[in-house]
Amino acid sequence: MGKTLFEKIWDAHVVVEKENGPSLIYIDRHLVHEVTSPQAFDGLRMNNRRVRRPDLTIATMDHNVPTNDRSLPILDQTSAIQIKTLEKNCQEFGIQLFDINSPNQGIVHVIGPQLGITLPGSTIVCGDSHTSTHGAFGALAFGIGTSEVEHVLASQSLWLEKPKSFEIKVEGKRKNPHAVTAKDIILSIIKNIGTGGGTGTVIEYSGEGITDLSMEQRMTICNMSIEGGARAGLVAPDENTFEYLRGRKYTPKNYESLVEYWRENLKTDSDAKFDKTYTLHIDNIAPQVSWGTNPGMTCDVTESVPYPDEFAKGDQNQKKAAQNALEYMNLEAGTPITEIKIDRVFIGSCTNARLEDLIEASKIIKGQKVSEKVRAMVVPGSQMVKRQAEELGLDKIFTEANFEWREAGCSMCLGMNPDILSPGERCASTSNRNFEGRQGAGGRTHLVSPVMAAAAAIEGHFVDTRELDLD
Amino acid sequence: MIKYERDNIDTDVIIPGQYLKVHDYAELATHAMEGLDPDFHSKVKEGDFILSGKNFGCGSSREHAPIALSHSGIKAVLALSFARIFYRNSVDGAFLLPIEIEDDAYQGISEGDEIDIDIKSNQIKNLTKNQTYKMKPFSEIIGKIIEAGGLFKYKPD
Repeated sequence: MGKTLFEKIWDAHVVVEKENGPSLIYIDRHLVHEVTSPQAFDGLRMNNRRVRRPDLTIATMDHNVPTNDRSLPILDQTSAIQIKTLEKNCQEFGIQLFDINSPNQGIVHVIGPQLGITLPGSTIVCGDSHTSTHGAFGALAFGIGTSEVEHVLASQSLWLEKPKSFEIKVEGKRKNPHAVTAKDIILSIIKNIGTGGGTGTVIEYSGEGITDLSMEQRMTICNMSIEGGARAGLVAPDENTFEYLRGRKYTPKNYESLVEYWRENLKTDSDAKFDKTYTLHIDNIAPQVSWGTNPGMTCDVTESVPYPDEFAKGDQNQKKAAQNALEYMNLEAGTPITEIKIDRVFIGSCTNARLEDLIEASKIIKGQKVSEKVRAMVVPGSQMVKRQAEELGLDKIFTEANFEWREAGCSMCLGMNPDILSPGERCASTSNRNFEGRQGAGGRTHLVSPVMAAAAAIEGHFVDTRELDLD
Repeated sequence: MIKYERDNIDTDVIIPGQYLKVHDYAELATHAMEGLDPDFHSKVKEGDFILSGKNFGCGSSREHAPIALSHSGIKAVLALSFARIFYRNSVDGAFLLPIEIEDDAYQGISEGDEIDIDIKSNQIKNLTKNQTYKMKPFSEIIGKIIEAGGLFKYKPD
């Protein structure tokens, strides 16, 4: 029987295999940031260990960096200490760091691909759950905890149990590809499979609805695999993938011969079997808006906030969860999504802060003004994205519309830096999690695409973006 | 036993992002479950267990989540299922035991019940109600990491 792409990558990285037991898996790239690494470095020091492969380890600071003027000192002392600690650790252990003043600083999952560090067929880990993003390049990429970070630093390997394989086929063509985006596809998938639908699996996304997507859009899809409970998500590499990585800063010198190998080998065999499959048809899907407190609580923009009974379909815990969510979100069941008024807009995060996201959002913003009741900000995913956007004049389009134009970082996706919601504030956010308090204690998050976030900023409420002149 | 009758308890409510800069574990513990249950810190006792539904610990990879629970006194979380990173984090640092249970234990155990867990026989005894439930056995690697006292003490055969 043939193998799936995931199994091929797994098999190629097995160092030690135990029958019916775990495998020791070799790690090709380890990405490190300031929040989940300090205890791991402390552990190395305590046990007198070195970093096994500093040349395969890359660090940046993204989670708690302020996104205002970089020439100003960092006011939050605990953040400043965490940032300083990463600098010291990288220096001591010989790890390349893109620090807060580096032109290559940015969200770790945005800079990896941009710098050509993310490669097809490789294993990539990072102490961050959204590491699944790199799967867009046909890599096996997943998030790990701090103990595992220490284990990889010390040994460049991890003991892992082999996950199951899950194929998600995305069939058909979107009628309004500018109004209905990759974010709407992945939110639809999570709405249908549930937040635990992918538990214990690695998802392979396939079908015309995926191969039609650009690399940046594929990253949005793979990024949110973890929100469906999966270990990782990946897409078989194709000519788009190879073209994206050609000629980047760290693209390997023997790139073309690698491409030949990848083209031949990095695909699922026609007779391979997945443990699980799901198919989504996207011909008629609508823009998506989350209404609750997990990413599965999502509906079409044309629908209304559901009644808990209708949402739960007989599951008591789901009913209770929906009731709690409505209370937390201060929403009444039956309210049309387009009547929900917002206070804030956040365009940013490792899900949706790449150049294409900003270009698509800017088309809606151009010549318009943000609603007087809304405060809106754009936080580019990396300093490189920021520069590229500025070269295209996007910063002017956003600032003339009264958007704030910020420096790169995770920012309001997780509320670790000063960019947070106040209690009760309602935000249209291009990020990945709408958990209670995620964007600040008491803050209310609606997950949407960059296009929807931009339209909501102008109108002050959600709109059916298909009715705008975008295509 | 502290019971949260809900699914999808995420790491952002177990320990909100603003506290990921806190390195003192005792202080971290004072903010455990703050996003969901502000009374948690005052009611939790050394040796307590948490009981919850499906997909416990979903979300971020922050090891701060099991650390905050562990340093609050929580020795085990019993849940219908776990998110993978939380599950591994719990055993890798020997912070707490993630115990997968079936519906009988989920329905049968109430807040305040006294529980005894035997991971050798995979049995959960409810001393208050005099009931016994099965727990899902740990996989080989997880069992060995737990037995060793954490990932760094685990030595493969």
